[in-house]
Amino acid sequence: MGRKKGSRDTNTINPAGTTENQLKDKELVNHFKRHIGRKAFILTEAFPFMFIGKIKKVLDDMAVLSVETTSVPALENREWSVHIHSIEAFYIEKVGSPKIPDLNGGGGEEPL
Amino acid sequence: MKRRYHVAAIPIRIVLNHFGDHNPNGMMYVLKENEKKVKELVGKNPCSPVDLVQPLVIRANEGDEVEILLENKLDFHAGMHFQEAEYDVHRADGTNVGFNKDTTVAPSGSILYKIKAAGEGTYFFSDLGNPSNGERGSNSNGLFGALFVEKRFSWWTNPESGKPMNSGVYADIHHPLLPSFREYGWIFHDEMEVNDLTGNRPIDHLTNQETESFHGANYRYEPMHNRQKLIREGIVCPNCEGEEVHHDSWVYGDPASPIFRGYVGDPAKIRLVHGGVKETHVFHYHVHQWFSDPKNLDSEIIDSQSISPQSHYSIEPLYGLGSLQGSFGDAIIHCHLYPHFMAGMWGINRIFNTLQDGSQSYPNGVPIKPLQPLPDRKAPPEPTKEKPGFPNFIPGKVGFKAPRPPLGIVGGRGLTELERQAAIPHPRPGAVFVDPCPENTPVKEFNISLIQLPIIYNKQGWHDPKGRIYVLDEDMEDICAGRKEPEPLVIHAPAHTCFHINFTNRVPSILEGGVFQHTTRTYEASMHIHFVKFDVLTNDGGNIGWNYDSSTLEGETIRYSYYADVELKAWFIHDHLFAATHQQHGAFASGIVHPRFTTFLDSRSGEEVDHGVQVTATNPLIPDYRDFVLFVQDFTLLFDKSGKPLNPPKFPGSQDDPGLFGVNYKNEPLQFRLGTDADPAYTFSSYVNGDPITPILKAYTGDPVRIRLLQGAQEESHSFNLHGLRWLKERGDLSSKLEDQQHIGISESFTLDTYIPRSGDYFWAFETEEDLWNGLWGLIRAFDENVPDLIPLSDRPKPLSRSKPLPEPNGTKPPKAKECDPVSVTSGPVRRFDIVAFQLPIVYNDFGDHDPHGIMFAIKEDMQDILKGVKKPEPLVIRANVGDTVEVTLTSLLKAELFPFKDGIYPYPQVKEQAFYPPSLRISLHPQLIQYDVKTSAGETVGFNDDQTVGPGEKVMYRWFVDSQVGACGMWDMADIHNHKSHGAFGAFVAEPRGTEYLDPYTLKPVQSGANVILRHTFLPDIREFVLIMHDGVRLLNKLDELLIDPIAGILLPPHSQEKDEVDTYDEGSRGYNYRSERLINRYQKHPALHDLFSSKVFEDPATPLFESYAGDPVTIRLITPAERRRSHTFHLHGHRWRFDVKDINSRVESFVGFNIAGAVRNLELYGGAGAYQKHPGDYLYRSGNIQWDIEQGMWGIMRVHAQSQKHLPALKE
Repeated sequence: MGRKKGSRDTNTINPAGTTENQLKDKELVNHFKRHIGRKAFILTEAFPFMFIGKIKKVLDDMAVLSVETTSVPALENREWSVHIHSIEAFYIEKVGSPKIPDLNGGGGEEPL
Repeated sequence: MKRRYHVAAIPIRIVLNHFGDHNPNGMMYVLKENEKKVKELVGKNPCSPVDLVQPLVIRANEGDEVEILLENKLDFHAGMHFQEAEYDVHRADGTNVGFNKDTTVAPSGSILYKIKAAGEGTYFFSDLGNPSNGERGSNSNGLFGALFVEKRFSWWTNPESGKPMNSGVYADIHHPLLPSFREYGWIFHDEMEVNDLTGNRPIDHLTNQETESFHGANYRYEPMHNRQKLIREGIVCPNCEGEEVHHDSWVYGDPASPIFRGYVGDPAKIRLVHGGVKETHVFHYHVHQWFSDPKNLDSEIIDSQSISPQSHYSIEPLYGLGSLQGSFGDAIIHCHLYPHFMAGMWGINRIFNTLQDGSQSYPNGVPIKPLQPLPDRKAPPEPTKEKPGFPNFIPGKVGFKAPRPPLGIVGGRGLTELERQAAIPHPRPGAVFVDPCPENTPVKEFNISLIQLPIIYNKQGWHDPKGRIYVLDEDMEDICAGRKEPEPLVIHAPAHTCFHINFTNRVPSILEGGVFQHTTRTYEASMHIHFVKFDVLTNDGGNIGWNYDSSTLEGETIRYSYYADVELKAWFIHDHLFAATHQQHGAFASGIVHPRFTTFLDSRSGEEVDHGVQVTATNPLIPDYRDFVLFVQDFTLLFDKSGKPLNPPKFPGSQDDPGLFGVNYKNEPLQFRLGTDADPAYTFSSYVNGDPITPILKAYTGDPVRIRLLQGAQEESHSFNLHGLRWLKERGDLSSKLEDQQHIGISESFTLDTYIPRSGDYFWAFETEEDLWNGLWGLIRAFDENVPDLIPLSDRPKPLSRSKPLPEPNGTKPPKAKECDPVSVTSGPVRRFDIVAFQLPIVYNDFGDHDPHGIMFAIKEDMQDILKGVKKPEPLVIRANVGDTVEVTLTSLLKAELFPFKDGIYPYPQVKEQAFYPPSLRISLHPQLIQYDVKTSAGETVGFNDDQTVGPGEKVMYRWFVDSQVGACGMWDMADIHNHKSHGAFGAFVAEPRGTEYLDPYTLKPVQSGANVILRHTFLPDIREFVLIMHDGVRLLNKLDELLIDPIAGILLPPHSQEKDEVDTYDEGSRGYNYRSERLINRYQKHPALHDLFSSKVFEDPATPLFESYAGDPVTIRLITPAERRRSHTFHLHGHRWRFDVKDINSRVESFVGFNIAGAVRNLELYGGAGAYQKHPGDYLYRSGNIQWDIEQGMWGIMRVHAQSQKHLPALKE
């Protein structure tokens, strides 16, 4: 059974005229922007599924990562642009929060 | 589009190799346009192979209508039956079945078949006009072939000339949008008649007995005994022994068997077909890996695969020829079953790195035939004097063994100038012509040796005095001194590891002979590896074609290098030089490539380790898991404590199934576990007998577990069953079906990824009768409270402190299982079954073949009707829906006086190492795949679980829960696997969708049991469900009460000189479906016309289940093989197809299913329903694909699809 695009059931419009989904999408992008320079652990549905690396910048809704580790060694140590809204789950390392494991044994920096 | 082929079925002399071995009574299909030519060529070349004499391979595109005009030039009715195709069963089945029209063709006649090539794939065809299995049968003599169906719009050319072609096993396939690829047909077949040049059966020059029967591919074979004779006669390689140079082209030149030629990186597809009649083979292809289902990217990656008769697979090597690393050279392709490999079932994939235009020669002067580059790929460079390309840079000497690879041997030679030109810029040991390891890959080094030592297999002192095993050098002293138990070496590493191996050959150069084997000079050894990436020229651990010999002499060390690019399963390690001689002594090992970043801990101490058959794996990203490795072995050459050989062959060197079995160099035979009261019901009880010596895999409740299943040796199929746990068939695919059984052949590797839901002892076994009898079983012990010798997983809750002592063996029967607790969910309906187990004679067909000592399960209220003959006995089939709790009350009514062999010796069908094991009066009912607490409801008395069997007049209650729509499940007795099961002590359980009702198809009344029902569901169409229980090992008597023992040579057309040989133990016994068997010999004696034997116009309908439906009715077949022998059977239903994996929409669609062996279950949802998409009414044969010996012995029946309404058969609800 299909659902109508933009129907109130799935995309409630708030008094400011934006939908909840639009707000959520925007805030997600802002969240990544706020953490530029920090290390993130990201899982995506698409290949290569997992990224660990520093958030270098955010362009529109794309996070540019300096990737230290993925599931595939050949894809490491390079820049990756990840579509923020395609991310299934993520964790951004902060001071005082648990550290993302240093899987490649390179030591890793202290969180910002 | 329409394609038309004019085919002739002709008698032909098939010369199988350059030694003149031949089949004088061969038969083949050939295109009419080639008939005259092939006959002329064979006439002119009576002693050498003729290229045109090959199994007929024709091609079409998907969607094509294919018309085949068959002209029969044989002296019997012949036909062509096509698998996979859709067709009018009255016009194109190629058989004479039921009430169909006869579509075989008489001698000198012709017939036109029209079939639809519904989808891309292999459409195997063969004759069923002559279904006899002996030397006078058609299939064993070559009457088979294949239609290869390509993607729409494809065309094909001859790889040598580049010109269009009409038939041939090799072709280059082109497409306007897709890459061109090399297509190679590899058609296994076996049991063909072979004579040598003198017209006699070939004699093995060592044993002076007849050689092994024919095992080959594409009408060719290259057995060792022929080649070895040239050594003995001093013609070649005077210092060689035989096996180590069997595949060496430097010594002998190229074999007559298939050589698939291509260039590095060429996309390729091997159409693997089994056209033979008997054996399940294992196809192994060095260097390359492929998806087990090329249509499903989530399917398992494999590099060897079993294949049973009349089945087929497409093999698309990942990254093309030479794999990811771009390795060039000769990659051998072979049946991994060593007796078959030795008998000649091998060929080569030759990967060139320079252009072959016909101007070059091999080192022995034989011209290299031209090979067109694929048109959409860059042609390889032309050979030059400095860079002549493979194989002409290798410094070998024709007539002598291939040289060792440069840089390989510690202290050995460097590179010649030609080798340097061919090598990579920075060659290193083990990576000379390609380097599989990317830069900066973490390196893991292992020092490994092959050693010889005695191995004791069990508590009774059965032992192999000449065990040969791989060990880490650091463990060698402890193992040799007895401080460490010998176990198969398993090394562990995470993905993205570059392995550096220093391998030392420390076995004596002589393997002394005895009753099992001849003395053999095993002076070379190696480590051949599967799955990982390597340079085939220097690292194969073999001596193949024009490659180097990458092995070592005694005392030498060779360096190998491999790369594990991704997480892999357990990769197989074994010697490739004298494998047929000493692998059965234990010369196998494994490496496991785990997910990246995994580390490995000793499960007892928590210390980090890098090898061991049981480890705890810990990973920062994914859940930790227990990792267990099980290697099954056969041909295990054992002696008892007093030095008596166990199951020795009739003569030393015979490959006729010598020796016994093992698992991880151990076994726990049932004959030693009878206990004081000699009741088999407590055989598996650790209270009575202590724990088995075989592996006990330990875990805590809730632990994830990966079981790595491998077969280390040597020839036979085995069936692993795990009671109470299950896994996804395709590990990486959540849409995959659940399994609790796995067929395995040597060199295959499976990862069974599961977890432990509840505490208790879980039973695992290789569960064909003979394997289990001889000790291939063990336990997974799941603790609910802390134990000192098992660390908890780091990411699981800590186990509770121990509140009660661990159970101890006490020599007494275990207590009766407590009233069972509900399994986990108490809500939902409860379905109750009151089941009785009792004995009665079971009549298997109208000719009076019968089992006077049948044992069956039945619903209690049906028992009297069955005993009175009002209801016919059939295996009990019960059903429940997802969400149901099932309560089974089982009552035993077994009577001692109704068992046939009260003296405790069961004479036929027998098992190897026969011993006293009297029938148990207790019985039980064990179900597959559904949920239960193993401590109360597994239907077996195992380990330290309580007693779940039931004695005469007693009752036991089991509670099961159906948590998933798993469909077909077997059910069987576990109280006495030796005296009960083959008499019928099995049945089936079917897990249906929630809300399903089950109706009798004739009365439409609800039923509680039965093999043939209508499934009615509010949201689904009515479905006809046919349950077929395939079983073998049955002790049948004929109407004169004479025991039926079928001779090895077949019964329909026995050979002129009747052989005295009996079949191997694992082929003994009769066979059929659902307690019925329609043995063809009974029909033949009444009406001796082979092509009429399936006809219901000549005979009545067969005794096997007749499943009726109307065209287009949805049909699901549940195929279950609960019992019991080690021979695996193929199942084929004519004219219909189904998804291989019923749960997976991406699954391949086929008309056969292989590997039906104890514990196998299949759910076949017929595409398009009865009569397939074209809805053709008629009689469709269901049958085994094993011409030898299943069909003759009654493994066939009919699915009848009606066109018109029948009074007796109500239509399904619209």
